Amino acid sequence: MASKPLWTYEAHTLHDLFCEGAVSAEEIVTSHLARIRAVDASVGAFLYVDEAGAVAEARRQDQWSAAERRERPLSGVPVAVKDNIVTQGMPTTAGSKILGEFVSPYDATVVVKLKQAGAVIIGKTNLDEFAMGSSTEHSALAETRNPWDLSRVPGGSSGGSAAAVAAQLVPLALGSDTGGSIRQPSSYCGIVGMKPTYGRVSRYGLIAFASSLDQIGPMARSIRDARLLYHVIQGADRHDSTALSSAGDRTVSGGPWRIGVPREYFGEGMDAGVRRLTEAALERLRGMGHALVEISLPHTSYAIATYYLIAPAEASSNLSRFDGVRYGMRAEGRDLLTMYEKTRDEGFGAEVKRRILLGTHALSAGYYDAYYLTAQKVRTLIRQDFDKAFQEVDFIVTPTTPDVAFRRGERDDDPIKMYLGDVYTVTANLAGIPGLSMPAGVADGLPVGLQWLAPGLADTALFDAAATLEPQMEPMVWPMGVEA
Amino acid sequence: MSQYQVIIGLEVHVELKTATKLFCGCSAAFGGDPNTHTCPVCLGMPGVLPVINQEAIRLAVRSALALNCTVRAVSKFDRKQYFYPDLPKAYQISQYDQPLGEYGWVTIRGADDAAKKIGVRRVHVEEDAGKLNHLGQRLGDATGSLVDLNRAGVPLIEIVSEPDLRSAEEARLYLTELRAVLSYLDVSDLRMEEGSMRCDANVSLRPEGFAGSLEDLPRVEIKNVNSIRNVQRGIEYEVIRQTELLAAGERIVKETRGFDDATGKTYSQRSKEEANDYRYFPEPDLPPLVLDPQWIADMKRGLPALPDAIRADLVGRGIPEKDAEVLVLDREAYEYWREATALFQDERLVTNWMLSDLSRLINARGESFANSGVRPEGLVELLGLIQAGTLSGRMAKEVLEAMFESGQTASQVVKDKGLSQITDAGAIQSIVDQVLHDNPAVVQDFLSGKEKALAFMVGQVMKQTRGQAKPDLVNQLLRDSIQKNYAASQD
Amino acid sequence: MELSDREILHVARLARLRLTADELQPLRQDLNRVLDYVSQLQRLDLDGVEPTLHAANDQAPLREDVEAASLSVAEATKNGPKVAQHMFLVPRIMEGGSDGE
Repeated sequence: MASKPLWTYEAHTLHDLFCEGAVSAEEIVTSHLARIRAVDASVGAFLYVDEAGAVAEARRQDQWSAAERRERPLSGVPVAVKDNIVTQGMPTTAGSKILGEFVSPYDATVVVKLKQAGAVIIGKTNLDEFAMGSSTEHSALAETRNPWDLSRVPGGSSGGSAAAVAAQLVPLALGSDTGGSIRQPSSYCGIVGMKPTYGRVSRYGLIAFASSLDQIGPMARSIRDARLLYHVIQGADRHDSTALSSAGDRTVSGGPWRIGVPREYFGEGMDAGVRRLTEAALERLRGMGHALVEISLPHTSYAIATYYLIAPAEASSNLSRFDGVRYGMRAEGRDLLTMYEKTRDEGFGAEVKRRILLGTHALSAGYYDAYYLTAQKVRTLIRQDFDKAFQEVDFIVTPTTPDVAFRRGERDDDPIKMYLGDVYTVTANLAGIPGLSMPAGVADGLPVGLQWLAPGLADTALFDAAATLEPQMEPMVWPMGVEA
Repeated sequence: MSQYQVIIGLEVHVELKTATKLFCGCSAAFGGDPNTHTCPVCLGMPGVLPVINQEAIRLAVRSALALNCTVRAVSKFDRKQYFYPDLPKAYQISQYDQPLGEYGWVTIRGADDAAKKIGVRRVHVEEDAGKLNHLGQRLGDATGSLVDLNRAGVPLIEIVSEPDLRSAEEARLYLTELRAVLSYLDVSDLRMEEGSMRCDANVSLRPEGFAGSLEDLPRVEIKNVNSIRNVQRGIEYEVIRQTELLAAGERIVKETRGFDDATGKTYSQRSKEEANDYRYFPEPDLPPLVLDPQWIADMKRGLPALPDAIRADLVGRGIPEKDAEVLVLDREAYEYWREATALFQDERLVTNWMLSDLSRLINARGESFANSGVRPEGLVELLGLIQAGTLSGRMAKEVLEAMFESGQTASQVVKDKGLSQITDAGAIQSIVDQVLHDNPAVVQDFLSGKEKALAFMVGQVMKQTRGQAKPDLVNQLLRDSIQKNYAASQD
Repeated sequence: MELSDREILHVARLARLRLTADELQPLRQDLNRVLDYVSQLQRLDLDGVEPTLHAANDQAPLREDVEAASLSVAEATKNGPKVAQHMFLVPRIMEGGSDGE
């Protein structure tokens, strides 16, 4: 039996201890549930905790033989799931009122894979409504705070998952990333978060925000754990026509590498602490023998505009199904049109409505070419920027965000300012390439993230590369006593 | 009245005969208890994604090729967006600017027998919507509606004609021919009453001398008419309505209208809705549909004989055009004919019997050529008895009826009823003599040149032999006897 | 390309969103700021640039036409806000809309 509380351990260690029979799954789960009870009232990471279900699953696993435990790479490991991923046994809300009491009649493919891998699903984490936001303040249901500083946001939209992992409520969580929604909160909360190549992980059961940009990815306190979770959830899926079937992993040589440093990612508006820690990390990479190569991704400055046309356009379509007919909440009206409008008016929050209107406009007659089609052309240019860059370099390293976690309420009133925070992350979604955020250190008590970008399908190589830097960095000292 | 030209374009939706829906594994069968053929995908649950049914694509390609379309090796799916309770995702996955098939045609032949090619602008694949059951007599006064999503997601093809049709009659001919072509492909049940084939008609009037684009003419769309006959009626009504409006100096409003079977009139359906803006955009959940050009070519080679070729073949064999038309338009009848003529040489005799007596009996019993109790072998046996002289035509009709009633073969019926033709002159002569003796006035009529008088006497002989005498023989015996016994005394 | 209130209300109707008078003003301001921001894309020369219509370059996989299990009616309708006779009940379809209230 370990001397430290079990909730402080990383996933692979918990799994090993469970396989060896050193601890029971029930002990592991109970320990994490206790931590959640102690801390989550102030952090607010979870929207739903399935205590009974988790304990029952743990007890079931405790009956397994050592071989059965080993067979399943996540046996004994508690995992949290972002609440825009549907689960059969628990409610799914997407952080919105409009889903009402919805309980999915099916599990998302990643949830099926988690269960097959022996993960114990602890609960569902908070998010900006329908993943639209960068602070988790746009959840209609709960407030989530940054465990490093409760007056600050955890980032978003996977803020609940990031906060849960950083506050050690769970060692692993699933997030989703449409424009940075895994990497940005990972950066703000000092953890590892990875957005896979588009198509690497099935989206079946992920409540769609922007279908051509969304990917589910792992969040953890170490690269090793993130990779473990990634390998469980990735792969083709007969329910998702965009999940990549035949394409194999792209490999990258063992190094030394040529590491691209895009000059457009080091411009004005970057926080001093972020700049200092990013440059220090780059120096370490140079010290490890890699070549730092200044590169240009010339269309970077158009990325936010491109993203804020494509994502809302797709979202406006994806969110049309919330019409009060088959599931979710309904506001009664004397006729159908009134019912539709009242339901959607009461059910959606302000930011969601703003994006639905923007997206509807961008697709409407007379505007499609000027907005949606133009944005998809610029998207091609952005992809080509990366194609070109990766002919020259093996990886690209940048800050994950220009800033550190901001104070709650600080960016409520200015959508453009909020959107600009995604400037370093949206490009990977537009290009479909994998991106990973790892902690670069702590500046003035707040974590700073370092982003790695790799060519499409080089997901495993991306983990391998980032893992070589991890031991060179100061170990993270996780915020322990998280009190309001 | 004739200062306007009638411009008609038809949009036909055809449900494809697949086992499962277009994007999920639910049954595509018609009917079923409400919402029993549904799953998260066709219910439009959060998080679901479409996966294309390959059989639907095969049937769609087959249809497009049979309609002389060019089939794209690469096409794509798009979302067509509008809110309606029968459309679960609030968008229909359809094909917008890269449809599966394009540039085809259907040939129609009018009363003047001149062939006219009607352009098929496109054939594309899309998913069907669910069904609404209105609580109340009509949509207008319903207090609410119940949504059944069994049909939601069933694969459809939409076949859009060019606005090449110039009359309600041409529209009827087009639909009839289109249905015939599709019927030979085994792609759909084509039941208009069950909605597996549906038609929307766009009707507009072009003023004489109008040189602009047809798209600019105010167009009225008659929606979801449930039979070819009613499409024709709806268009006929609409042409009169629009002509009268224009004559009265009024404008035609671009609108959607329904057709009322009882009154034969069209009525306005959408009075207050904003102009449709479907906000089409490429379906991000489906990569392009890529087909192997070789496979498309093989599909084209593998098409069955289609109405045009069948028609030419039948006429070439000496079948009258009118009969050939009837056979071609009813695939079951044509297949029946093929089976029968494979067993029996006289194709015209087969045709005559099929299209007269057999047709009548089948229709009277609500059967079809495919499921009729009298199979082609049975008919052929009957025709053989006629050819051998065992049965007269009249007797054969009686036998055929009995075959339907009893399920027996022709020879069984003949045996049971003792019905075989009397071909022995000696057996008939005494009856002939008796009839001549009983009708001296008629004999005189005949001798004075009234041929009809003979027919009367033939009838009398047939009556006394219960129809079993061979008519040619009776005819001959009567003439001979008159010649021998009466004509002489005239001199 | 500033959006007027009328245009915003038209878009809202397309999206089946009802906007109250006090929502309209700030929304107009936000939307026009965003539209102004994205108008920078018009500066790019995009002649000959193909749009990225699909994120994955792959072709669509095709599924065998084999029936899979459907949900039970109970499961299919369990989330329905109003269900009658195993079907989803919706209010009368004709006419109306929030602007009449």
